[in-house]
Amino acid sequence: MESLYPTLKRGFLNGVSITYTMVKVIVPCYIAIEFIKHLGLIETISTFFKPCMGIFGLPGESALGLLAGYFINLYAAIAVITPLQLSSKDMTILALMLGIAHSLPIETGVTRQTGVNAWLMLTARVVFSLFSGIVVNAVWKLFL
Amino acid sequence: MEIILIALKDSLLLTVKLLCIILPLTISYEFLKHRQSVIEKKHFTFFGISGKGFVPLITGIIIGLTYGAGVIIYSLRTSHTSRKEAFLILLFLSICHAIIEDTLIFVVIGANGLVLIGFRFALAIVLTYLIYRSRLFNAQLDGFPGKD
Repeated sequence: MESLYPTLKRGFLNGVSITYTMVKVIVPCYIAIEFIKHLGLIETISTFFKPCMGIFGLPGESALGLLAGYFINLYAAIAVITPLQLSSKDMTILALMLGIAHSLPIETGVTRQTGVNAWLMLTARVVFSLFSGIVVNAVWKLFL
Repeated sequence: MEIILIALKDSLLLTVKLLCIILPLTISYEFLKHRQSVIEKKHFTFFGISGKGFVPLITGIIIGLTYGAGVIIYSLRTSHTSRKEAFLILLFLSICHAIIEDTLIFVVIGANGLVLIGFRFALAIVLTYLIYRSRLFNAQLDGFPGKD
């Protein structure tokens, strides 16, 4: 039982350090998106990405969140998605796709360290991410 | 100027919400790591993943690949998990990791948590099982101790 306090403290410090890393990503991304919204660029971006995001039943501007999640990390994605005010269905589909594949540059590095074929894993993640988006969109339309 | 201030306030509010989710997770994770040796001694298999491989698996499911990386790499290297088992663990984790954190942070901004958890778990289990059972996989990486 004497090890309770150090364990608690380590967990707390880890949490704070993760949050610190997170703030550095969230604040700039959030401000950037608010600016894009203010300048009226959202419509242009939305129209541009509409054809490909339509496969997942998502509005075009959500492509920004997906790309931020794939290439940076989930916190960047959340900072981008929150100001876009998507519906619950869109949010769920986007969250599912991002949950399966995100922070790809960093996590592929981690996978390599374990000695497993990282490229195969990377391909699998992106494929399953896109696949889940299509499936959940189709299923959602059927039932709701 | 006003936009920056509003965005700053909103983004900090979002961060505080996320902090409330992350803190309990990192704390419980430290407790799990503390119990690692106890879990490793248990004998069972879960779709070709043994007790030894269970610690990296649970770590990945709860905390994710990035922050749990240290423990995952360490466990896989020191516990002499076979290449096959390591592949199965990573495959499962690639679909289904940081399940609590990822889900909760998206629930905070309005997603449906049940759909998220259900779909990812189901996909990961089905996929891991299929690969574990497939002939190609068994022929390619031989010498798996738990092979039947």
